Amino acid sequence: MSKPEFVHTTYIETTPEKLWHALTDGDFTERYWFGHRVASDWEIGSPYKFTRQGKNTIEGKVLAFEPPKRLSYTWDNLSPETKHERTSRVTFDLEPRGKVVKLTVTHDNLDEGGKTFRDISGGWPMVIASLKSLLETGHALPTDLSGDAAQEKTDA
Amino acid sequence: MRKPEFIYISYIETTPEKLWEALTSSEFTKRYWWNTAAVSDWKVGSPFSLVMDGMTTDVGEILEADRPRRLSYTFHHLLSEAARKERPTKVVFNLEPYGKLVKLTLTHEDFEEGSVILDGISNGWPAILSSLKSMLESGTALVIPPPCLGIEGLNRS
Repeated sequence: MSKPEFVHTTYIETTPEKLWHALTDGDFTERYWFGHRVASDWEIGSPYKFTRQGKNTIEGKVLAFEPPKRLSYTWDNLSPETKHERTSRVTFDLEPRGKVVKLTVTHDNLDEGGKTFRDISGGWPMVIASLKSLLETGHALPTDLSGDAAQEKTDA
Repeated sequence: MRKPEFIYISYIETTPEKLWEALTSSEFTKRYWWNTAAVSDWKVGSPFSLVMDGMTTDVGEILEADRPRRLSYTFHHLLSEAARKERPTKVVFNLEPYGKLVKLTLTHEDFEEGSVILDGISNGWPAILSSLKSMLESGTALVIPPPCLGIEGLNRS
């Protein structure tokens, strides 16, 4: 039985370079990732973290940094409910397809039936939808989402 | 062991009515679905077909049409001998208002063990639904090379 993994593919009308910037620049992630800023020096093995309103939410280390093709990092959600779960892994693959870019997000090495798996399964489609909207239309999806959305967006 | 299925979720800045129209109007579907017309009168029990550049690629039957919340049809791919031999699968679209957005959940299920179309639809739906989102939000569908559709019979063209 294979370990659970989550894969989400989207096509975005942009360039690989702009998409790469959108994934690795804190000012940019804050705009579409519902307030989450990413920060790292992006050296292989270096730490990175996401912060939201000054509070650390996700941290890990950089596994792959091959602009503008592949970015990978480990993923530790710092919320108390997920602290006991294993460190998972996120990989972004960017592939030019004509005038658009195919973006594949793979989140693997997850605990079977864990909270992280549930959270990221809800969270990634939302984050990636917002990223696509921002790159294509100039504005991200509105952040005044309520209820479950607020929880999901905090976690991925 | 879980049955094979394909699930795709997207969030689109539109209304459920506009999204329903985009899924069921052949003029609309041709714009984001590589000139593919979704043809049906959308009544439960009625036939359904996908017609790409005049060629019927898939057929089925309407199972549910609860406008603008839930649309479901059977789906039988015709372009390869192996696919024609498989039993029809099932496609379900759920449309849920989500603040100022619509959450669209596509579920494609009921595949035979070892189905030859699962790979194709897993490649095709993300491209189709990405293009649909672009069209509804920016007014322009995406130009994605057709091989991304993963439709056997079209990939070699």
